[in-house]
This record gives sequence, structure tokens and C-alpha cells, in this order.
Amino acid sequence: MKNYFLLFFSLFLLASCEENNSNEINIYSKRHYQVDIKQYENFEKITGIKVNVIKAGDDELLERLKNEGQNSPADLFVTVDAGKLQKGVEMGLFQKIQNEIIDSNVSDDLKDINGYWIPITYRARLLVYSNERVKKSELSTYEDLANDKWKGRLLVRSSSNAYNQALMSSLYANLGEEEVTDWSAKVVNNFARDPKGNDRDQVKAIAAGQGDIAIVNSYYIGLLLSSEKQSEVDAGNSVSVYFPNQGENGRGTHINISGFALTKNAPNKENAIKLLEYLTGEEAQNTYVNNSYEYPANPKVKPSEIVQSWGDFKRDKLDLNALGTFREKAIKVFDNTGWK
Amino acid sequence: MKKIKFQDKIALLLFALIFSPILFLLVKSFYQDTESLKYLFKNLLFDYSINTIYLVIITSFFSLILGIIPAWYVSNHQFPGRRIIDLILYLPLSIPTYIMAFTYSELLSYTGPFKITYDFLQIEILGILLAFSLYPYIYSVSRISFSLFGSKYYDLAKNLGLSGYQTLIKVVLPLSKPAIFSGLFLVIMEVLNEYGAVKYFGVNTYTIGIFRSWNSMNDSGAAIQLSSILLFIVAFLFFLEKYFNQNKRFSFSKNSKLVSLIRPDNSTKFLIYLICLIPIVLAFLIPVLFNLINIFSSFDDINFERLLNLTFNSFTISFISSFLILVVSTFFLYNEKISNSKIYYYINQFISLGYSIPGAVVALAVVLSVTGLDNLNDSIKLLGSFSVYFLILIYAYIIRFMAVGKSPIKSSLEKHPESYDNSAKNLGLTNFKIFQKIYFPINKYAFFTALILVFIDLMKELPITLILRPFNFDTLATQTYEFAIEEMIPLSSVYSSVIILICCILLVFLKIFLDKSDVFRS
Repeated sequence: MKNYFLLFFSLFLLASCEENNSNEINIYSKRHYQVDIKQYENFEKITGIKVNVIKAGDDELLERLKNEGQNSPADLFVTVDAGKLQKGVEMGLFQKIQNEIIDSNVSDDLKDINGYWIPITYRARLLVYSNERVKKSELSTYEDLANDKWKGRLLVRSSSNAYNQALMSSLYANLGEEEVTDWSAKVVNNFARDPKGNDRDQVKAIAAGQGDIAIVNSYYIGLLLSSEKQSEVDAGNSVSVYFPNQGENGRGTHINISGFALTKNAPNKENAIKLLEYLTGEEAQNTYVNNSYEYPANPKVKPSEIVQSWGDFKRDKLDLNALGTFREKAIKVFDNTGWK
Repeated sequence: MKKIKFQDKIALLLFALIFSPILFLLVKSFYQDTESLKYLFKNLLFDYSINTIYLVIITSFFSLILGIIPAWYVSNHQFPGRRIIDLILYLPLSIPTYIMAFTYSELLSYTGPFKITYDFLQIEILGILLAFSLYPYIYSVSRISFSLFGSKYYDLAKNLGLSGYQTLIKVVLPLSKPAIFSGLFLVIMEVLNEYGAVKYFGVNTYTIGIFRSWNSMNDSGAAIQLSSILLFIVAFLFFLEKYFNQNKRFSFSKNSKLVSLIRPDNSTKFLIYLICLIPIVLAFLIPVLFNLINIFSSFDDINFERLLNLTFNSFTISFISSFLILVVSTFFLYNEKISNSKIYYYINQFISLGYSIPGAVVALAVVLSVTGLDNLNDSIKLLGSFSVYFLILIYAYIIRFMAVGKSPIKSSLEKHPESYDNSAKNLGLTNFKIFQKIYFPINKYAFFTALILVFIDLMKELPITLILRPFNFDTLATQTYEFAIEEMIPLSSVYSSVIILICCILLVFLKIFLDKSDVFRS
């Protein structure tokens, strides 16, 4: 038994030994979508460069990157939160990217002002409301969610969720500690129930009549509306999408990007830059929007039909690095105001 | 000074290798800035700890009920369908806790068939759902324990005029306490480390606190400190139990005959079916059916090549790791039993502690202690990064899952009659020969059980695999998780169903093997 086992084990190791191939890129990825696999395959077809990926949580990957130091095989780090990219910058794990093609591909207001990370797509954290019980005219801003009129009607997931943490960070950056703490306390007071479930569950809860409005990520509304389950599509159709803070003097709706950063010791730097040129280009950007419900970072590309049907909106122009620098303070606001 | 035997040196080396990342973590926790720990203590930890204790109590309670009572009836009563019921009662072990949680929240949601909307009793419902997945740990140890009692105890109980239930409560349970506790220990550890399901249910437990400090407060130092505290609490409970139970262990007398099964009357039969069908339907049939229906609804989207590939990955790494865990834990436990040296006793006390730390923190400990090493790069050049990270992943699995492998072997060795060893020693057999000729044949069911239990845990393992895996290495569990957190449950069902299927097949094999081995009277 033991001999068979050893034989099997060594065969497996032999089979798994890769060739020493420098024509490759190694990515540490928080993103784990089917569309990513497609993008990397397309890139390999065009350039012959193989893309290798390890997918895990962003904090875990940053920790791995930090401890591997100069030994790290990783060239690129990608995540769905500018805050975590900022954290990686602060940990000294990345190098700046200067490249004209990428620069001209990406909308100016989405770019990192320090030049460390490259956005590829973005999402909005918006409001959905019951078609039956809420009039569009009743909605206005995130700040208005603190209003008494929403008492027992507001649905949102827990404060452990990264999207909520990013939203709270943006509000902290925009409003300041005192105002945001007051806001959070009132919002918690308006909750229809203790936070639970994911974003889709909040929409379903509106359909079930457990609440009237919810804070959700645009991406998940797209998924819900394109679900294979009719009951989910029905739930999605029972609500409408609203972009808050759009008024003339409004600062715009909170967004967050998916973005890449180049590691400090990237062994395949040139290949990595080529991949970023490709991913921000029109072809790949079209692939993103046609296979997921994200907004493209390239202004020449239009989002998917479902997403377009919600209409255009004004983005909050806050420096997205604030989503990282204000994160800890945002968490304390959650804790102090009892947002579970 | 007494000369240390070669074998003991190997043992110490192996122990050092397995325990060093945990030790590293403990030592490191003293060198961290304590500011965010203070913050957590002041604001959250009390609530988080209360929630955790409550969840542990609820899950343990339901696991004990769902495990012990059916095990009692199946072990001592003859009724039609007994064998198949016995078999299915093990199978919920094949369903990962997060799948159980997702399944029921989907079923009970507005878009599910029942359209029940509930916002109450979050912790209680979560506790019951966790018990659905975890009660087989109690059931399996109870079944083995109840079946191994010789007729002596039952005759004694009968002579004292005790009824069936009185026998269970006054005689069988007290005698089975060490075995049941070893199962309960696994249940409690699983609850303490549960992350996916508790996060989804919005229940803030201690583990959520660990991740909150790491992922949200950007403070891996505080996460290390919190994990160390958890480790000390678990170690304390562990030793406390040891202390109170140390005089209560006994060897089963070998001449005791097995008792014949009771033939229940019709009303008792009805009761037995009712009791056994509750866990079978709720913890197995419903989630399996739910997953199957999902597969049919997304059948066209299934990538069979990828499915096959991931199945191979999952199977290979789980098999290699569980085999190594079996070898190492047997080595330590057997030597404790046979050797005069006290070191094995201490090794065995400490080596289970890896299980008390959340998987992601074990992975962090390995990242901190291994990935920074300079010679890692040399090994990568020599073997390729795939092989090196493949080995690191196995290493982390061993650190975390030793306790699962040890548990069945330990309880089996405890029942091993001392007289065999003495006769063997008198015949002048070497330790290895004694193992080969006596221990292996007698305890083979326990070894096989250990292998399968660890294998199943590894098939479902998520956090360690995510962080430490080589490039482009996906498993069924990681793919299930990736679809599930993207809220694409039907697609994740395909991969989770394969996990469930493989684990079920193995459990069925295990059961058939055990039935042949006279462990159970069938």
C-alpha cells in the first residue's frame, strides 16, 4: 500500500512540474469571475503569454505578498476595492505604472492620483425601492436614509461586508466624523431587520414585503435580473434602481473600482503591462460588460443593456484611496452605532 | 542522562515541524501592537463571545440529540430498514456547513418554494443548521461506543431493573462519555471556526471578530492575538476535560458477549422511524434534492472538462494529505500506548490544538513562518513553484486536521484490551511487529474511519486552500465557494454536488467495511 502511495505521489509531482516558462504572468486575484478566465484566455491567444492565477481574499493575498518579499512570483495584484489597493500601496508592495496606452484608455476621474493602480471596471452602491410602496420622488440622497420616514423600512447587509465598509468610508470622507456617526445611528434605527444575507437577499426581502428600500451593489441587481430562476427575476422586477446624490449640487453616487497593481518585484513586468494595456482596451472592456454587470473603466465602451436601462448617473468624484485611508474609522462608526 | 531512542528523536522532530507554525503564532502574538486589541476588547469582544458561546451551546445540544438518540435505537433495536437508515444517518457529514446554510436560506427565502420570511431566531436557526451538518460526528462515535459494550453492562442494568432509557442515561452514556466528548470536541471546534455560514447569517462570533480585525481594521497582528487567545481557551477546556475524566477511562473486558438486538413493538417502531427520519430528511434529503434540482436548471452551463479536472485536484490533494495525517497520528498514538516514554503523551496533548484555530489563521501562520524563508526560493527553482506550494498546502492541512484523524484512532486504542499487549510483549515481539500483527488488524476500522473522516474534511476545506494553493490550482470547494459568494447558487451546486457525491460514496464504503469488521452488530 505504502509503495503504491509513494509511486502515485511522485508521479503526481513529476506530472505537475511546470516548465520554466518566462513567457507568463502571475496574478494574485481577489476577482474570481468567469469573465476573467475568458479575458486571460483571449490575451494568451493574441500574445502567447500564459496567465497564471491564484484566487483568494485580498487581505490574505496582500499578507502572502508581503511575506514572500523579493521571492514573490506575483506580477499583478487585482481586487474589487480601491481601499485594498491603497492598503497594498501603504504596505509598500507595489510600484508605479506609467504607460500612455493605459492612461488614454481609462476615464480620468477613476484613476489613482498617485499612479499605483489601474482601474478596469467599477460598480455603484445604489438604492433599490419597492415599485408598490415607494414613490421615486421620496428618494434623494444617502443622507436622507437617516430620515424618520424610513423607520422600519430600510434593508442592508451587515457591516462585515466590504461594500458597506467602502460606502461608510466614502461617507466619512465626505461628511466628517460627527455627521456620519449621527447618520449611521439614525440609519440603524430605520432598519427593517437585523442585517443578514447578501445583496440579492435584500432585494428579495423587498419583494417579500419585509422592507421598502435597500442599499445594494449595481452588479447584483444585474445578476438577479438575468437569473435563470423566474422567481428571482420577478423579485428583481418588483423594485426599481435609484442613483442617490444626483441633484445639481449633489456629489454623485458612491462607486468603487476593480483594479490592478504591479508588484514591487514583478518578475514579468513587461508582460504585466501588456496585459493591462489589453484589459483596458476596447475589446476586453466589451468582454467585461457583456459577461458581467460591471461598468467599464474605458469611457468609449457602453455598459450592458440591463445596466444601461437604469440610465446614466453622476459618480462621486472622491479620491478612491479614501476608501482605504478611512476604513478603520468607518469600522468604528459601525461599531459605535450598533450596525451589526 | 537517559539515551533518547532514534524513534523518539523522529517523533520530536515531526512534532516540532507540525507545531512550529502554531508556536510561531503564539510567540508573535506577544510582539504585536495591542491598540486594536484593546479597542476590540472594549467594544465588541463581549458580545462576540456571548454569541459564540450561545451558538456552540445550541449546535452542541442539537448535535447531541440528533446523534445520540438515533445511535441508541440503531445500536440496540432490530427493525426493517435498520441498515439503510444507519447508513444514511452518516451522510450529512458530506455536506459542507456553508452549503447547508445557503440551501436553507434559499429554501426559506421569498424566492424559495415555501416563501417563508423570517427575521427572528437567527442564532438558533443557524445553530440547528450547523447541527444538521455536524451531528454525524456524535452519531459515529456513539454508534461505535454503544456497539462495543459487552453484555455485562446490559445484563447488570437489566438485573437492576432499569428500563431502556434508564440504561441509556444511567449506564451507557456515562460509560460513553470519553467517546462522545471526542465527537463533541470536533463539533465545537467546527462551530468556533465556522466563517462562511455565520457571516451570511449576520451572527457575529469570535471568528468574525478575528477577521474583522484582519480584513476591516487592517490589523493582522490583532487577528494573531485573538487566535492565540482562542487557542488558550480551547486548550484550557481540553485539559479541564482531561482532568475530570482521567479516572473514568476503562478497558473493555474481552470476554463480555455481545447482546442480542431488541425487537420493538409497533408503536416503538413508529417512534424509531420518526426519530431517525428527522435528521435523514432535514439534514440529507432536502439539501441533496435542492442541489440536484439546481443542477438540472443549469445543466447547459456545466463545463464537464473543468469539473473533471477539479475533481481530480480535490481527490488527489485530499487523499495524499489524509493518508499522511493517518500515518503521523497513528505513529504518535501507537507510541503513546506502547512506549514507556512520556513524550508521546505530551505530543498528543498538544498536536490537536491546530484544529482550534480558524483555517485562515493556520494559513496565515504558515505564510508567516514559511513563505519568507530564503531557501524557499531555491526549492522553487529546483522543484517548480507548483510542487513547492502543493507541499506547503499539504503541510498546512496536516497542522490543522491532525485532531480529526486522531479522534477515532484514539478512542479505538483506548478500548484496546491491555492483556493483548502484555502477551505480545511476553512473546518478545518488536513494537513494529506488535503493531503489524495485533494493532493494525484489531484497529483497522478506526484507521479507515480516520482516513475517510479527514478526507471528507479536506474535500470541503476552503480557507487554507484559497491562500496557500499553487497557481491555477482550483478544487471543487474553491469553485463552489466562488460561485456561491457571487450569489450564483445553481452553478455552485454542480461542484458542491460532486463533493457530496464523492464523500457519500466513501462513507458508504466505510460503513460496509465497518459492518464486516464486527464493530457493529448487524
